[in-house]
Amino acid sequence: MSREQEAEAFVLGLMDDTEASRAEAALATDPEWARAVGQARDRFLPLDMTAVPAPVPADLWERIAPELQMAKPKAANLPSAPRLRRLLPASIAAAIALAVGIGIGSQTLRPEPVVIAVLMDDSGAARAVVEDYGSESARVRFVSDVAVPDGQQMQVWTLPSPERGPVSLGLLKEDRAEHLSPPELPTPADGQLYEITLEPLGGSPTGRPTGPILAKGFAARQNDI
Amino acid sequence: MTSAIAACARGEQTGLHRVIELEGGRLMGIAKRMLQRRDLAEEAVQDALVQIWRKASQFRAGEGSARGWVFAILRNRCLNILRDGGRLSTLDDAALLAIQDGRQAAALESFDALDEMALKDCLAELEPAPRRAILLAYVGGYSHGEIAALQSIPLGTCKSWIKRGLDALRRCLS
Repeated sequence: MSREQEAEAFVLGLMDDTEASRAEAALATDPEWARAVGQARDRFLPLDMTAVPAPVPADLWERIAPELQMAKPKAANLPSAPRLRRLLPASIAAAIALAVGIGIGSQTLRPEPVVIAVLMDDSGAARAVVEDYGSESARVRFVSDVAVPDGQQMQVWTLPSPERGPVSLGLLKEDRAEHLSPPELPTPADGQLYEITLEPLGGSPTGRPTGPILAKGFAARQNDI
Repeated sequence: MTSAIAACARGEQTGLHRVIELEGGRLMGIAKRMLQRRDLAEEAVQDALVQIWRKASQFRAGEGSARGWVFAILRNRCLNILRDGGRLSTLDDAALLAIQDGRQAAALESFDALDEMALKDCLAELEPAPRRAILLAYVGGYSHGEIAALQSIPLGTCKSWIKRGLDALRRCLS
């Protein structure tokens, strides 16, 4: 597929979940791709303009205001603010602080993760935290219960680069803290995508994510905080 | 809209107020058309505005219009609601059927409602079936599989209709 064809498939919502997450993540790192998507959006924009405007709810601002307080965007002209805190509602940040605190308390002298990614489900609820230590070591912890159907297994993935595509970090036995031994990969980067999918027992038959995405999130580099 | 997003990126809530003032009604209209129910549309618009606020610093003006970026965030929220298996499961069959009928009708009507402009002319040049498929996808938020089922055609045929339709549309618009 040409870049334009891919951009249109993305804009029309015709990609599957995995492709769409990859395409979304690449917007931040690939300006040419972002431009192709922007242009495709603008080609179809007149169709959005045919929607008949409807009144917004009277209490719209009251409904969104609390979320704005918790997630103030980074000012564009400031030096890189801690990405984790900027993107996450306070409740999730608190969950991470708690999770990280427990980890440090129970295991002193553990190396610091290079990145931490909070994986959220479709509704934006935090599900799991991935700590990637680089050098073939990572750890997953769950911050809420996840239902895994019989005959299926959770698999953790990351996207080191759009060219390389998603790479499995490992399979999970159950929804509790687990160490993973991923293959040798480049040092995890700020903003790198991590996700957990539901796969057949034994893992994805293709070596790429095939099942539904349970949760996904972008990494925050830890030496910035 | 570009300056409203820039204000959001600076952390100024007046920027988000301005987004609502400029396009709030349209956002509700787009969400209502794709989700049919006012409660779901309100939820989608609400979520989209929070996302717009959070992601404002990622918007780069050279890559497309600010309005296109804003609408894309909303459409994405709507698709999440439609495709989240559990999300619509509390609705009864009649309510689900009403959503389906409404979405299809609204998607197809959008063509007639287009202003006289290049996109309308180019869509008009397509065969009716690929045109309908493209409208069902973009305006109705339907997936390849759903469009194939709605038009009673095999999935492969549906994909190739859409692909050919989009190629012809792009050539016509360029």
